[in-house]
Amino acid sequence: MTMFEAILLTIITASTPLLIGAIGQLVCERSGVLNLGMEGMMIMGAACGFAAAILSGNSYVGVLAAILAGMAMSLIFAVLTLGLAANQVASGLALSIFGLGLSGVIGAPFVGAKRDQMAKLDLPVLTDIPLIGKALFGQDPFVYASFALVIGVWWFLARTKSGLVLRACGENHASAHALGYPVLKIRLLAILFGGGCAGLAGAYLSLVYTPFWSPGMTAGRGWIALAIVVFASWLPWRVLAGAYLFGGITILQLHAQGAGVKIPSQFMAALPYLVTILVLVIIMSRRGGQQAAPASLGTPFVPDR
Amino acid sequence: MQINRRQILQGATALAGAATLGQPAFAQANPLQVGFIYVGPVGDFGWSTMHDVGRKRLEEVMGAAVKTTAVEAVAANDMERVATQLARQGHRLIFTTSFSFFQPTMRVAPTLPNVFFESATGTQTAANVSLYNARFYEGRYVQGVIAARKSKSKTIGYIASFPVPEVVHAINTVMRGAWSVDPSMKIRVVWVNAWFNPGREADAARALIDQGCDVICAHTDSPAPLQLANERGVFGFGQASDMTRFAPKAHLTSSVNNWGDYYVERAKAVIDGSWKPGDVWGGLNSGMFRLAPFTNMTPEEASEAERVRDALSTGRLHPFDGPLTRADGTVAVPAGGRATDDQIRAMNYFYRGIDVALPS
Repeated sequence: MTMFEAILLTIITASTPLLIGAIGQLVCERSGVLNLGMEGMMIMGAACGFAAAILSGNSYVGVLAAILAGMAMSLIFAVLTLGLAANQVASGLALSIFGLGLSGVIGAPFVGAKRDQMAKLDLPVLTDIPLIGKALFGQDPFVYASFALVIGVWWFLARTKSGLVLRACGENHASAHALGYPVLKIRLLAILFGGGCAGLAGAYLSLVYTPFWSPGMTAGRGWIALAIVVFASWLPWRVLAGAYLFGGITILQLHAQGAGVKIPSQFMAALPYLVTILVLVIIMSRRGGQQAAPASLGTPFVPDR
Repeated sequence: MQINRRQILQGATALAGAATLGQPAFAQANPLQVGFIYVGPVGDFGWSTMHDVGRKRLEEVMGAAVKTTAVEAVAANDMERVATQLARQGHRLIFTTSFSFFQPTMRVAPTLPNVFFESATGTQTAANVSLYNARFYEGRYVQGVIAARKSKSKTIGYIASFPVPEVVHAINTVMRGAWSVDPSMKIRVVWVNAWFNPGREADAARALIDQGCDVICAHTDSPAPLQLANERGVFGFGQASDMTRFAPKAHLTSSVNNWGDYYVERAKAVIDGSWKPGDVWGGLNSGMFRLAPFTNMTPEEASEAERVRDALSTGRLHPFDGPLTRADGTVAVPAGGRATDDQIRAMNYFYRGIDVALPS
């Protein structure tokens, strides 16, 4: 394996959980719901996924459990924000804190348990492509899933009527409602999708990235995924770019340190954030300061008004 | 609100009692409340886990004479609040178990004069602040010796947390050990700016292995780097607890912390009124840490490692004997001298031959 392949492989590993989490959150936000509970949903996915994989002995059961755990967490959020029209920011923050705590309780019996990394899924022929073949097509199923999700979400939002309706709910929920679309139901589905993706991202952490359970192991990745959605100005392809930009610079700075580049490590560690902000500023200035966020983002919808 | 007030009142009563009585009789009537503040989650399987093992040992030995409370995953900037709250609840002995907590401990201690603080690592004591730490560098020296024997690429990879003296002198000592076997040994260092971030620790290990390191030392808390070494077919060392099972093919040895005996000793001191600020820095011979059984080594390699370990333990070998030369070529400790404990604890330079940027 060449150095190039090795670095590419590590970048993919680092970017995948961010990508999966962010793409789910993007759908949720495009429907007009801001769910800051990402970190909590992600770590619940990590805990439940690992627990289920240990108990069943099957990684795929773990993945399924993680998705369900993420969805269950997001359902709590949906009840609060859709059912009771509670403040989304406060509910989301509470969900994050709740998830971090609950995952510790669920995961407690599994601390120190060991599992082998989930098997890779080689795509024949494609892995023989020089340079990128092995890195792109000799991956674990999560990586393929992450790309499929980006394509699927792009196609859904940009090319289908349902996607248009979902976006309408995010841009102006009163109009969507007036047109007879079930705003709350659509938002519920979008929240559940976001939760499922967050759970899947968590499963990636505890089953592939570092195959063990440890409380707090998401270490802020949920928040970064949230930020990537903003960075991407709510566009699926840019989520892909944002996740890989962030993951790429994170890994490259580690390599630069290992290679003995004489730059303070604190600066290196801050580099992914700095570059992301810089790119965001450039993108936004090119758009002429146009507001990219869905207009109804974060606003509770009460149908009877 | 009421609950809070009651708790505060209880705490105040306990403090008043402590101030006026402070006698064994009091301790028996009311168990000594001992607080523990951890920097990571109790399930990190490393540093914080081992402090919690120590806490359980304290409960086991002291029985009803103590009552312990642990607060996990506390951020350094939140530690003063947690300590104040523990004090209000009546805790009279508080262990703040991280170097990151040392400054907050020094700030909060004067405001809680009736509480005894014990800071795991630090640079100075105060009227109610003791320091305790283990001479983990002795284990690092052994790691260096083993690494030099096991490495084919002659390059050690070191995953460092923060550029604090504890980490800097550990890196120096690993290389001192490695050079004692093979002066051509090299080291690559990656700072991850975290004590606990399994994903980033694993990424750092990947980067180091990709750059040709085939023995990985970790100065962070999770088993992720060791597990990754196992996956990649290189060697590594466990940190804080015996991590053999995470890396059956890669694990060479672990530095296994043991704080329980110290905790028992200090709790007894508070109960019988003999607590004084102290500064304990225990080596291999103190039992504050030990090396896990050597694995994945030939009998010759293992017996060499044992010899070095025993020499360090008995004091026949000292990792900080001069001459010590800084990376810039100036002499830190001349030949025949030995770095003092204060010098070791303030070490902010790499030795000559370690070509690594030291973040300032």
